[in-house]
Amino acid sequence: MMKLSISIILLSFSGLLQANTLVIVNAHNPITQMEHKQVVDLFMGRSSVFPNKEPAHTLDLKAGTPVRASFYKTLTGKSEAQVDAYWATLVFAGRMSPPKQLTDEQQVIAEVAANPSAIAYVNRQPLPASVKIVMELNTPE
Amino acid sequence: MLRLTHYCQQASLLALLFIAAFSQAEIEHRFSGFATLGLVSSDNPKLAFRRDISQGDGSYDGTLEWRTDSLIGGQWDSSWSSNIDTTVQLVAKDRHENNLNNSVEWAFVRYRPADGFDLRLGRLGTDIFMLSDYRQVGYAFPWVRPPHDYYTLLSLYHFDGIDLNKRINLSQGTLNLKAFYGNSDQKFPTGLRSSDTTRLDFDVSGASVVWEQNDWKLRYSYANVNINNNVAQSLIDALDAAVPLWPEAASLSRKTATQGRDFRYHELGFGYDNNQWWVQAEATQLRSATAIVPQSDHAYLSIGRRFEHFSLYTLGGIARPRHDPAVVTPPTGYPSPIAEQLAQLAGATARSLNGVRIHQKSLGAGIRWDFAAKMALKVQLEEFRIDRQGTNLWLRTNSGQAITENQKSQVISVSLDVLF
Repeated sequence: MMKLSISIILLSFSGLLQANTLVIVNAHNPITQMEHKQVVDLFMGRSSVFPNKEPAHTLDLKAGTPVRASFYKTLTGKSEAQVDAYWATLVFAGRMSPPKQLTDEQQVIAEVAANPSAIAYVNRQPLPASVKIVMELNTPE
Repeated sequence: MLRLTHYCQQASLLALLFIAAFSQAEIEHRFSGFATLGLVSSDNPKLAFRRDISQGDGSYDGTLEWRTDSLIGGQWDSSWSSNIDTTVQLVAKDRHENNLNNSVEWAFVRYRPADGFDLRLGRLGTDIFMLSDYRQVGYAFPWVRPPHDYYTLLSLYHFDGIDLNKRINLSQGTLNLKAFYGNSDQKFPTGLRSSDTTRLDFDVSGASVVWEQNDWKLRYSYANVNINNNVAQSLIDALDAAVPLWPEAASLSRKTATQGRDFRYHELGFGYDNNQWWVQAEATQLRSATAIVPQSDHAYLSIGRRFEHFSLYTLGGIARPRHDPAVVTPPTGYPSPIAEQLAQLAGATARSLNGVRIHQKSLGAGIRWDFAAKMALKVQLEEFRIDRQGTNLWLRTNSGQAITENQKSQVISVSLDVLF
């Protein structure tokens, strides 16, 4: 009984630590793994290329999509409002082009599957073979 | 040099023609925008509050003014190939001289031969101060408007020219280097709701260095503004004509001249933001070779704290001239009416030299509420202390009456900022 409850606790604990957000690229992209700072630089407009210098096409979800808030919070510690304000300084100053925004995760997955230079984030879910995971983010519930 | 900037003005059009050759498949367009609906009330009856010195109207004596901060901007970003982009931004707001040419804030082509290296040509934003090139995007900063003691003087929003930007990503942080050159031509109002203007045509050049590391940001920028015209030509002519009777008028005429003279900004900026607490400060030395743009020092400091969807902040600023007010004494010993005419000329010269002085400080606090995605509501309270001989950021409500005492004004502002 004791053992069972401990294993239940452990199970639920590992459930909490489970990677909820996945950073994905096209299956043909030679990159297999990315570091935290490399992903931050791409999604915060400080870089427009993958670590191998190939152009990266960053995809974003529309504001208010639940996975978007948790992705940026986990990646940068910033709220969605802070991220939007930060991007506004880059976009409206004409420094960086904004990432392409899509309305839902299925669109994102389809676009990554079709575009060899795309990079995006989605909730943990079964993914087609045409995309691959380069980073997992542990989102605390 | 003028020919080059003229060419830059045409660059975006040329680029659009050139770009027509690109294959359709790669082309991407995106439209976005920003808007602010703002209300401001300033209680001083003698001085009208304005957001920058290009505005010819503002709140005074407690009147409610919506045109000071309200604006709407739209931007069209196009990607024509993996290394060529164009951006056009239009902003509609209350301007002293409102026309399509002035409403085009940016219209440029960006060429990015490699990641982190950008060359831009066309109508560009200035990178003189921290907020220079996004100061119309209310959603992007914590306050209702950029700090008054510091940003009001900088009415330069864009120039036609070229800039080069190099970003270096290091393991510790990011270094950004920028150099720019271009030309701008602007008209400024000379009084409250007055149709009179002074025109300033100038070449601007400069460079900036920005270091960003985790929560920290440090920047230095230098800008040189070379004026191509005489702002107060009629006064110069009158002083030159008076030299035979008044030898001192020659040196006053030289002081008043702006053509071929320059002024320079040295700016230091600091930012810290750990997502809970943030601090932002800037200081600028304005050094000038003409008395019409008086030497001055400007600084502000703001500290804020975020609580979920709310943010509280305080804000303090100061603007001080480097020199005492000019004293212009007319020559004595001439009979009437020459004596009166010389006294009038001396008075006009003194008003011209001292009317441009900026001497004030302010303290304020505010709250920002991010109540919905891409929407923020702000309320800000400030108190300004303005020296009687340093009111140039404000407009005198009675231009015939001199300000003989130091002034005070309480300014209440409310704004709704959105992105779309």
